[in-house]
Amino acid sequence: MKNPFRKDLESRSRPEACTVVIFGATGDLTHRKLIPALYNLQVEGALPAGVKIIGFARREKSDAEFRLGLEQVNKKVSRSGHDESIWADYAENIHYHQSEFQDAGGYARLADRLDEIDRERGGSGHRLFYIASAPEYFDDILANIKEAGINHNKKGFWSRVIVEKPFGTNLPTAKHLNKVVSKTFSERDTYRIDHYLGKETAQNIMVLRFANAIFEPLWNNRCIEQIQITCSENLGMEGGRGGYYDSSGAMRDMVQNHLLQLLSLVAMEPPTDLSADGVRDEKVKVLRSLRQWNTPELVSENVVRAQYVAGHVDGENVVGYRDEDRVDPESMTESYVALRVLVDTWRWSGVPFYVRMGKQLPKKATEISIHFKEPPTVLFNALSGGVPGGNVLVMRIQPDEGISLRMVSKIPGSSLRMEPVKMDFHYATSFGKGSPEAYERLLLDSMAGDATLFARRDEVEEAWKFIDHIHHAWHQSKESPVMSEYVAGTWGPKEADDLLGKNGHKWRRL
Amino acid sequence: MGDYTDNDYAMALGKEVAIADVDKELRLLWEEDKASTNASLINLAVYSEHKGAIIKNSEHVQIITREHACRALLIGVDRDNPEASIRAWITAQCHLAHGRKSICCEQVAFQLTGKSTGRLRNTVFSHLNSDLPLVFWWQGELSSLFSERLYSLIDRFIFDSSEWSNPIDAYSCLSEAMKSEQSLLPMDIEWTRSSQVRMAIAGLFDDPMAVNALEHVSELNIVVHPEHRMAGLQLLAWVIQRTGWKRCCELSLDSDHGDVYYYETSEGSALVAKIVADPLSAPVGAMEFIAPGLELRVTRDAGSAYICQELHAGAHHIERRTPSNSDDSAELVMNQLSRGGNNSLYCAVMPEFLALLGGE
Repeated sequence: MKNPFRKDLESRSRPEACTVVIFGATGDLTHRKLIPALYNLQVEGALPAGVKIIGFARREKSDAEFRLGLEQVNKKVSRSGHDESIWADYAENIHYHQSEFQDAGGYARLADRLDEIDRERGGSGHRLFYIASAPEYFDDILANIKEAGINHNKKGFWSRVIVEKPFGTNLPTAKHLNKVVSKTFSERDTYRIDHYLGKETAQNIMVLRFANAIFEPLWNNRCIEQIQITCSENLGMEGGRGGYYDSSGAMRDMVQNHLLQLLSLVAMEPPTDLSADGVRDEKVKVLRSLRQWNTPELVSENVVRAQYVAGHVDGENVVGYRDEDRVDPESMTESYVALRVLVDTWRWSGVPFYVRMGKQLPKKATEISIHFKEPPTVLFNALSGGVPGGNVLVMRIQPDEGISLRMVSKIPGSSLRMEPVKMDFHYATSFGKGSPEAYERLLLDSMAGDATLFARRDEVEEAWKFIDHIHHAWHQSKESPVMSEYVAGTWGPKEADDLLGKNGHKWRRL
Repeated sequence: MGDYTDNDYAMALGKEVAIADVDKELRLLWEEDKASTNASLINLAVYSEHKGAIIKNSEHVQIITREHACRALLIGVDRDNPEASIRAWITAQCHLAHGRKSICCEQVAFQLTGKSTGRLRNTVFSHLNSDLPLVFWWQGELSSLFSERLYSLIDRFIFDSSEWSNPIDAYSCLSEAMKSEQSLLPMDIEWTRSSQVRMAIAGLFDDPMAVNALEHVSELNIVVHPEHRMAGLQLLAWVIQRTGWKRCCELSLDSDHGDVYYYETSEGSALVAKIVADPLSAPVGAMEFIAPGLELRVTRDAGSAYICQELHAGAHHIERRTPSNSDDSAELVMNQLSRGGNNSLYCAVMPEFLALLGGE
C-alpha cells in the first residue's frame, strides 16, 4: 500500500527509509560531508524516519568511538550547527562495522546485521550502499557485496549503490568499473555521484534555459559567439593532496566529470520530460557530439596544459607545482588545462566552448559565461569607439552563486557614448536562506530513486573517450604537446590566451 | 493613534514623510547609504485594524526580510477614528547576508484613519514595486475593506483563521473572493502551524508496517490548544481527504473530550477521531494513530523547540526529535513564503475542512 499522506506534501520525489552502508566510513568524506549531510537532513525533517547508518571500515572501533569521532567533526562543519538533542537521536541509528574490504566474512556478518535491522522493521527494508573508499577497493567491495547476496532487490524493496569519483582513470578502467558494478547492481540502481550537479546553481541551468522564454530562442550558433566554462582555484597541493593530484591532474580530476557535466547541461537540447533518463539522454548526446581531438596535432591546437611555478597567491609566497609536497619533481601532470571544445550539432556548429581549470590562480570561482554575438555593424558601430563589448550572460556556480547579464547602455550626457552595465542576481541577496549542501540533495535523491543528478554509464564513458585522446597525445605520443608554465597567482599561461586569441576571443576577466 | 506616541512610531517606522514624497524620500534614503544593496523579490503588504499593530508589524517585517527580500508596505487602519488622515513613514530593514554584504529592504508604513481608509487602494498600492507579486498578509477579522477592489490586486493572500471569531462566515467570504478572482491564492497561517506535524506523520507512514496498518486504525487523536481548533479540524480533514475514510455517524460533541467523529476505513474498520482542546497544549500538541499492534504519534510540548516522532510496532521502534518551527506569526509567514507553490494540498483539503467546520 502507498503512503497516502505524501501526496502533494512536497514537490520532489519521496525519499524512502533505508539502511545506508558507507564503505570507507573512517575517511574524510564520511566525516566532513556524508554524516553532516544526513544530520542536516534530519534537522530539516527531510530524512525519512527509520534511516539507519552503518559505517564499514577496516579500523577497530566501537559504535561509541565511531559516533564520537563523527560528532566532533559535525560540530565543526555542520551547515545548521550542532544540536545535542537531535544529534543524540541521530547518532543512535549510526553503527560501526569493522571489516577488511577484501574479507568475505565481514560482508557475511554485514548481511546478518542488515537482516536483523530488516526483521525489526517487520521483514524487509531498502538498502543504500555508499562506496566512499579509495578507488582501489571498488572492485573488492562490489564483488563482496554480490557474494554476500545483499545486492538483491527483494520484493518491493530496493538495493542501490552510490559510487564516488573518480569513476575510473581512463576509458578502459571506467569500462571495467562499470562492468564490475553492473555485475552487482543494475544500471537503474547505480548512482555515480558528481557533487557539482547537486549545487543549486548547476540545477538552475535547466531552469534558466527552459523556464524563461527569452533565453532559449537565443541559445544557438546564430546568437552565441562563444561559451566559456571556468573553474579556478586559489589553492595548490595543501593538506597532502599532492600525492593524489599528481596521479590525476586537472583534466581527469575536474574536466572529465564536473566541467563536462556543466557543459552538457548548457549545450543539451530540451529534454522531453524531467525524468532521469529524459535529461541524461540529452546530456549524453552532447558528449557524443564532442569533436575528438585525436591526434597530437589536434591536441596541440586545441588544448593547453601547464604547471604553476613559484609566485604569490593572496599575498603569500607559494612554491611551484613540482616543488609541492608529494609531487614528483619531474612530474608531467598538469595543474592547469584549457581546451577549445566543439560540439558538432546543428545548434552549436561553429561555436567554441572554452573550458579551463587551474590551481593556484588568483581566486576561487566556477562560472559559465555565454558570450552573445555583436550587433550588426550599422548604427552605433559607426561611432568612434563602436559598441563596447557584446552581451554576456554569466552563471556563477560558486562562490557568490548567481546570474548576471551584461548589456550596453548610454552614458548620460548630451553626446552619444556607451558603456557596458550589468544586471546582477545574487542568490545570497535575494534568498536569505542558505542553499543545502550538494550531498544533502544527492543523498535524498538516491533514497527517492531519482537519478537525474547522477551520471549514467554512457555519460561517463563518452566523457572518458574525449579525455583519453588528449591524455594519449600528452603521455604516449612521440611528439607530445608541450607542458607550459604559469606563475602562481596569475590567470594561467600565455598559450591559453593564444588559444582564444587565434579566434579573436579573450578569456573573461573574473 | 492609540496609546503610542509619535516618538514610538518614529522609533519603529523610521522617518515620517508626506504621502506625496514617499518615492522621493526613498531615493534619498538610498543616496545616504551607498554600502547597502537594495533587494526585493515580492511586495509584502501587512494589514491590520488593531491599534498600534503597525509597530509590531515592523518587527515582523524585520524577521521576514531575513529570508525574503521584499518591498514592505505596512498598513494600519483605524476606521473608528473621527479624524480622516493618512500618515506615512519610511525606513529600510537591513541584514548582513552571510556575514558580508548588507542587504536592505524598503519599508513604507501607512496609518489611515476615519474616512481616509477608503483611499487605501489608491494611496498604498501606488507604491508597489512593479512586476513583483503582491503578497498580502491580512491580520484579524475580514472587514468590509476586503472587497473586490482590494483582492483583485493580490497574488497571495495570507490570513490566520485562528484569529476569526466566526470562521464559517469568514471562509464563506474568502470562498466568494476566490471564485471571483481565481488567481487569488489563499495561505492560512493556521494550516502552516500544522505543517511540521503533517510532514512528520507522512514520514512515519513511509514505514511499511505503519502504512499497512492504516486501514486498521481504531483511534485518531488530535490535541490542540483551544485557540487553534481550526488547526485540529484541518488536520482531521487532511487525513480524511487523503485516506477516503467515510463518516458513519453524526458528530458527537462531548464537552469533556472535545469533538468526536466516527469513521469507517475503506476496509470497513470502525474508528473514532477526537479533537481535544487542551489549554496546556502547544498550538498543535499531538496527533496519534492507534491500530492493533501499532502506535504512531507526533507530539510537541508547549514552548518546546522539538517535535517528537514515535512509532511502536512490535519490536520495531522509531523515536526521534526534529527542531520545531517557531510559533511566532512572522516566522510562520516566512515558512509559508519559503514553500512557494500553489498551495494545492490546502485547496484540496478545503472542502472536507469546510464540511467539518460547518458540522456537516
